[in-house]
Amino acid sequence: MQTPGVPAIEVADLTQRFGTVLAVDRLSLSIEPGMCYGIVGPNGAGKTTVLTAMCGLRHPTAGTVRIAGHDLRTARETALARLGVMMDGLSLPERLTATEVLRYSAGLRGLDGGWRKRAGDLLEVLGLDAVPRTLIVEYSTGMRKKITLALALLHRPPILVLDEPFEAIDPVSAHSIEQVLEQYVDAGGTVVLSSHIMDFVERNCRRVAVVVDGRVLVEGPVEQVAEGSTLNERFVELVGADPVRPLEWLA
Amino acid sequence: MTRALFALKLRLLHNGPHDERAFSLVTGLILAALVIWGASPAAHGVIHEDWIAVALTVWGGMWLFGPLTRPRHDPSVISREWLRGYPLPSWRLARALSWTELLGVGPLITLACLSSLAVLAAPGGTAAVAAAVAAMAAQLYLLIWAGKTVAALAAWLLQTRVGMTLAAVQTAIMLALSFAGWVPVAAWLLPRLGEGDLALVTSTAGRLPEPVSDVLAASPTGWGYGAALAARDGAGAEPVLLPLAALLASGALLHLCWIALTVRALRRPPRRASPRRPAVPGRGLSLPFTTPQVAAVVSRELATWLRDPARGVELRTAWLTPLLMALIIAVTDWSWALPLVGPAAAAFGAMAAVNTYALDGTALWQLLITPGALKNDVRGRMTAWALLFGLPSIALAVVLWAATGSPLGGAAVGGAIAAAAAGCAGAPLLALVMPAVGTDARDRFHPGQQAGDPTGGQMTIFPGVLLAAILPGVIGGPWWGTFLIAVLLASVILSGLPALTVRLLQQRATGLLEAMATRDTAALRPVNRPRAARSSRR
Repeated sequence: MQTPGVPAIEVADLTQRFGTVLAVDRLSLSIEPGMCYGIVGPNGAGKTTVLTAMCGLRHPTAGTVRIAGHDLRTARETALARLGVMMDGLSLPERLTATEVLRYSAGLRGLDGGWRKRAGDLLEVLGLDAVPRTLIVEYSTGMRKKITLALALLHRPPILVLDEPFEAIDPVSAHSIEQVLEQYVDAGGTVVLSSHIMDFVERNCRRVAVVVDGRVLVEGPVEQVAEGSTLNERFVELVGADPVRPLEWLA
Repeated sequence: MTRALFALKLRLLHNGPHDERAFSLVTGLILAALVIWGASPAAHGVIHEDWIAVALTVWGGMWLFGPLTRPRHDPSVISREWLRGYPLPSWRLARALSWTELLGVGPLITLACLSSLAVLAAPGGTAAVAAAVAAMAAQLYLLIWAGKTVAALAAWLLQTRVGMTLAAVQTAIMLALSFAGWVPVAAWLLPRLGEGDLALVTSTAGRLPEPVSDVLAASPTGWGYGAALAARDGAGAEPVLLPLAALLASGALLHLCWIALTVRALRRPPRRASPRRPAVPGRGLSLPFTTPQVAAVVSRELATWLRDPARGVELRTAWLTPLLMALIIAVTDWSWALPLVGPAAAAFGAMAAVNTYALDGTALWQLLITPGALKNDVRGRMTAWALLFGLPSIALAVVLWAATGSPLGGAAVGGAIAAAAAGCAGAPLLALVMPAVGTDARDRFHPGQQAGDPTGGQMTIFPGVLLAAILPGVIGGPWWGTFLIAVLLASVILSGLPALTVRLLQQRATGLLEAMATRDTAALRPVNRPRAARSSRR
């Protein structure tokens, strides 16, 4: 699906400043094609900021982002064509049904007729075909994640960028999303995702980056980063967790 | 509990935005001062006291109809949501809340205005003034609870499926009266203006016709006024006490109604009106002369105009207002003015569409990650606008010209063409440069929610569209010349503005997305905002 030897995503010295706050500090990542890559970190670490810069939703203060070798600043359209994106907490065309929003996306991208089959398949495997008249605005969190994933996959991009795909959804929805992502990676696709669900990252991602205070603290194969512990234990150890003093009134 | 709620409201007022409240206070006090100033010569017979009754009726009308003019504005400062979880009896809570409603700019400026009653009664001596002060308090009590009850009732209705239509009808009536309400008076004063005859019909000024002043005195807004005059004239106890008792009884009844509506709101979570769903999940739209990309946007836009609660209100308002205006004009002798409703319809359509980017909210990210989508989005929005507002406004002008044979028909059709072009190209541009950011699209279920106040954009686009509408008639000469100028003007507008919009969208879209995600339009400025200001989800 991708040119061999060229990183799927290459982030170099990415810096994002919000006024006086330095959200991302010269962060660099190189993600090889055909793998699932996890970005983990505590709340406010800069994960979402990195992902939004990766998919062109924010102009970074400094640094470059290359998608399959194409610089997002100088070859934006070509770079974007390679991406499928699933962002968390943002609206969609809310007054459309699942079928309508997929048709809209296919039309907007000028896709050929093959999209109909793919849309039907995605709606079916993600369980969205059971509510054909329900508008997106009425969707639950899990259904939103699924339709956003369907939109991200509809044009068969070689790279998927997913912001917290498993947060606040039920295990059944998570399972169906996980299965789709497994198939996608098996077929040669690249997935870059942020998550707090260490179990998922450990199970599915080949490499992981632990981001703290806008910087990469550790990066490497998951087993290597975990150092014999579970990823969750290692994460707490790396990030550091203050002990919680006993609250007498809870006794 | 009342004391705690009072303290909470004071704190909220203190920490909340002051601009609008300060403006209302200053404006209200100036208007109240004018009424008091007018009451002094009225008390001494220099002007007729009926005019004070008119002023008090208009003031009372503001309490009643004020909430209806802003149907998407929730006036309550203390949210019912915050209180719903407390283990307190709803009736007790609502009763305590009701007293906090007395705290605000409205009651203060109304009390100032009603003090004109004391000025009116002053020639009657101390007892008359004392009766007038009692009338002031009773009248204030009635007005507050009438206004609050209407607002609570409207807020409840807006959460139902009819809310969208209700809000649109309210706004359309207010707009039609504002824009065409003067026509019957002007048509009465200048009945033959259509024939070029400027002869003015004058009437005796100085006092109102007797039936009008009787109606004003008999209406609830005039009861306090009646009691004050009766006290001044020494008409005995009954003409003073009866209106006061009626004011207090009606006020108490409305107070009770408000408490009952608040109890309902406290007991039940807000209703989530089920949106209008498609009968058949959408079919593709094929439009002549457009690419599939633009057709996709048009299809999305048409569905959104029909299903989004905030856009639905704007759509219905823009369609209803010109029709109501036509109705008002049609009953006068000024039928020659009817075709002018066509350009007016284009102006209302432009005002309706002036905030679409903010209403679609963070859905903008989908356009940002799709190659070439921004340009197609602008074109699609324009095409949808032309289908929903532009072409109907031109058709309206043509039909009304044909129906009336008005000498202004050619100018009206030319004006409608130019106005439609200005609205079509201007609305997306202003939606981009003057977004009124409110609740994000995913969280809006009914028109009672804050969807951003687009007044600034509307006030900007209205004169622009009006100018475009006037130009062909002013410089065109005969009807064909007007038509030619209109087409030329429309061509210039449609070839220039959309390119500017696309360029600005490409430059500003990420900032606009940031502004909508954080609900902070300061993000539209070139300097990035601190992350601390971002939405809580991150």
